[in-house]
Amino acid sequence: MTPQTGRSAGPGVPRGDLPHRAGATGWFDTRHRHLGDWAFVVNRLSGLGLVAYLYLHLVILSQLARGPEAWGGFLAIATSPPVLLFDVLLLAGLLAHAFNGIRVTLLGLGLVASRQKALWVALMGMAVLIALAGASRILGVTS
Amino acid sequence: MSAGVTAKRGQVAREPDAATRGARARGDVGWGWAAQAATGAVVLVLVAVHMVAQHFILPEGLRDYAQVEAWLRQPIVAAVETVFLASVTAHALLGVRAVLLDLGPSPRVERALTAGLGVIGVATVLYGLWLTAVVTGLA
Amino acid sequence: MATLLQTPRPGADADPAAPARTLRVRRHRRGDSAEGWDRYTAPVGPRTTVLDALTWVRAHLDASLNLRHSCLHASCGTCGMRVNGRDVLACVTRLEDLPPGEVSVEPLRNQPLVSDLVVDIESLYESLDGVRLPLVRTSEGAPGSTPAEGVGHLTRFEDCVECGLCVSACPIVASDPEYAGPAVLGAAWRLVAEPRDRDPEPAYALVDGEQGAWRCHLAFECNEVCPTDALPAEEIARLRGILLRHRVVRWLQRHARPEEVQP
Repeated sequence: MTPQTGRSAGPGVPRGDLPHRAGATGWFDTRHRHLGDWAFVVNRLSGLGLVAYLYLHLVILSQLARGPEAWGGFLAIATSPPVLLFDVLLLAGLLAHAFNGIRVTLLGLGLVASRQKALWVALMGMAVLIALAGASRILGVTS
Repeated sequence: MSAGVTAKRGQVAREPDAATRGARARGDVGWGWAAQAATGAVVLVLVAVHMVAQHFILPEGLRDYAQVEAWLRQPIVAAVETVFLASVTAHALLGVRAVLLDLGPSPRVERALTAGLGVIGVATVLYGLWLTAVVTGLA
Repeated sequence: MATLLQTPRPGADADPAAPARTLRVRRHRRGDSAEGWDRYTAPVGPRTTVLDALTWVRAHLDASLNLRHSCLHASCGTCGMRVNGRDVLACVTRLEDLPPGEVSVEPLRNQPLVSDLVVDIESLYESLDGVRLPLVRTSEGAPGSTPAEGVGHLTRFEDCVECGLCVSACPIVASDPEYAGPAVLGAAWRLVAEPRDRDPEPAYALVDGEQGAWRCHLAFECNEVCPTDALPAEEIARLRGILLRHRVVRWLQRHARPEEVQP
């Protein structure tokens, strides 16, 4: 038997209940979770990523205001392989979010509630197919 | 803290009198979600249009400066792009708001949050309009 | 309290040759500022449940271990806890069904912790009392009677044992205690879907309010952990469909010409 530190309630120690919540990290804790929670996590993470991209995109477009040369400089970077790979990731995130959005809208209106897992699998299947087609176009495999 | 939560949650269910209902009806009672779904539907269509029009019909994948200028000078294109920017900005900021609301802000912080995101949204659309005006030579 | 890791003492209910399992139990005593883990090894048989092992630990190794249980057969809903990270009723979770190795046992989340494995579930009880769930009379399902269409769906929520597993699993309650949560919203769906002699308006105020059904992000985790097939997530989704129709009807009533409004 070994004594443990910090475990005894001495005089003046407030008797409190621990709130015992996962907090915001609980949103993304998918351990032992199921498909519906994955849908929630994918939707939230892709959504936050896309918000960041929206503003990045708008900042990049400001090159247009600086004239043809500045825009030409951006075009040279935009067609480089690392950026094209980023575009594939972006397309995947966009499709994941779009098709998750269809799930959220249908379920949120009280539709297909009892078939939510099949719905998500079907939607993600479509998203993957479109993402693969888009990736091959972006990376120039089929063009 | 837990005692306060207990009383509050219990009270909502036990005393749903007119006053309580009036007080609760002031905040977000689903309009945030409805607006998110509606803008989402618009974005779903317009993002597809945007992707195809900006990247997939061009052999090089992107327009050079002259092409961008000619493209944006078409009134229908400028109109669609403006609607797209407005709806995508609204959808993005409503999403940020929904995430932040899950942190349980006080009503005062929630109002400030909604107002702040509204200002950011208006500024974003104004920036888009300004940029379009600059590129097309209107400004 | 101390960390204990010892061979179970042979006793009336323990065969010295019997296999044993080690439980890693989250400990927190009221007033303590910190939490810790204690390990206990308990003898197990083919049907030993997590709750059996914990009560054995209490009887033979550490009487200070606080836990709560009553019926031992999944109908009282008081022994909810997290076993290997899953929200379960300990009385129907068999150790033989868990993967080999240590078994972690923690209190439910998202509800105030009282002590060790006991959480304060009072606010859930109060909120559920506030919903005043109407009950389908037993006679309606009696042999020879003709149950109304859809009653089977309605009685499902009467089987809710108010264990709080769904509250523990909900990622939104995890960050916002004000959200009404799955159990209460599911019960409110039951009231709104078929009010019987009850007034559903108070339930509308709750579920159509700021902390109601619109806060749900449809992760469906409450469905997954529900031990009674009450399936709160499905009902929250259906509830939103009902709320939407309810709002449209109310809006039409307000804006329709007076002669078109039904009394």
